[in-house]
Amino acid sequence: MKGVLLSGGTGSRLRPITHTGPKQLVPIANKPVLEYAIEDLREAGITDIGIVLGNKGREDIQALLGDGSEYGVDITYIVQGNPLGLAHAAGCARDFVGDDDFVMYLGDNLLKQGIEELVESFRAGNYGAGIALQRVDHPQQFGIADVDNEGRVLELVEKPDDPPSNLALIGIYVFSNEIFDVIERLEPSWRGEFEITDAIQMLLEDGHNIDSQTIEGWWKDTGKPEDILEANRLVLEGQPGTLDGSVAEGASVEGHVDLHETATIEHGAVIRGPVSIDAQTTIEGDTYVGPYTSIGPDSTVAGVSIENSVVIGGSNIRTNGKIVDSLLGRGTAIGNAEELLPDGRRLVVGENSALKL
Amino acid sequence: MRIITLTCPSCGTVTAANELEDNRVMKCSGLDCQQILRFDDLPESDCEHFLEKYEQYQI
Repeated sequence: MKGVLLSGGTGSRLRPITHTGPKQLVPIANKPVLEYAIEDLREAGITDIGIVLGNKGREDIQALLGDGSEYGVDITYIVQGNPLGLAHAAGCARDFVGDDDFVMYLGDNLLKQGIEELVESFRAGNYGAGIALQRVDHPQQFGIADVDNEGRVLELVEKPDDPPSNLALIGIYVFSNEIFDVIERLEPSWRGEFEITDAIQMLLEDGHNIDSQTIEGWWKDTGKPEDILEANRLVLEGQPGTLDGSVAEGASVEGHVDLHETATIEHGAVIRGPVSIDAQTTIEGDTYVGPYTSIGPDSTVAGVSIENSVVIGGSNIRTNGKIVDSLLGRGTAIGNAEELLPDGRRLVVGENSALKL
Repeated sequence: MRIITLTCPSCGTVTAANELEDNRVMKCSGLDCQQILRFDDLPESDCEHFLEKYEQYQI
């Protein structure tokens, strides 16, 4: 079985962060979200992985993943170009997949329990496809599956007014090779894209059995800033933390703190985990880093009180203000305006930024 | 939808026809690959199909 990891898309809901890079490389607990998907595939025994690239951030993704050897996998790149839909992305992988079955995994998705059960269940039966589902509170907002008692899918409905269940499709699928012939017969949807749900529905109508696995652990689509913060919280909660870096006498560190071996916590700093602090980053004295915060590499944090936030890296935060529930892009500089006149905040803010002052 | 792709003979990177047509002549996107790819490298029937259905391959 092969893996196809989708890494295209514009990331419009994550602007301005995605003005300078693909959404799949936004770090969750200081690790790009795409790496979690690669780990899930590898843990399911899938080491031959096609990375589907869109129009944005190709070089960044290739620079990170290379040929896959650092992750113990073998990577082939698939250039989709125009984002014509998930079914088009899958279809572009046809030559790569060959005669195999394959897992298709959306590269900005993150789930706790991995994909082994989904893959094993698909392998155990004679299925045209297998889909991962999760119970949701507002099924009217999702693609919804109606399933029987054995998990076989009876029908898929997109954003139904009268949902047959509360089981939503998440971005992880297993496909038999039959999917490619179905994609050839697809017509574009109302939004001009080739939809994977239409392809799965056609498999059903052609008489194929569709398996499903309901994911009981958490799942996040990291498409929006608040999703990044929640995913960061969920991942940090599950990490034991390793204090490999330097903690000065007089610093206070409690809870699970993941401190890179080249990171430093100075005298007078207070850290309350779960927290992740990456390479070459210094937390200076009189600084409070509170729960569910990830500070990326090459950063200095001084004087601030920061909680439930993600600092992507390369940042200099030197203020006595309080920062909460925030996502700070690479290279951010935050200083102190208290002694400056005229009184007021001074901002250099990129397009599509969102601030609450 | 007929999905048309070209597999680089040097590195195996797969490129969709819309990308090839946008560039006409391009260096393969594979890591350290120097292979030159052309839209015309596709089989003639694929080129004709793509150009006939051009709108379908745009977003």
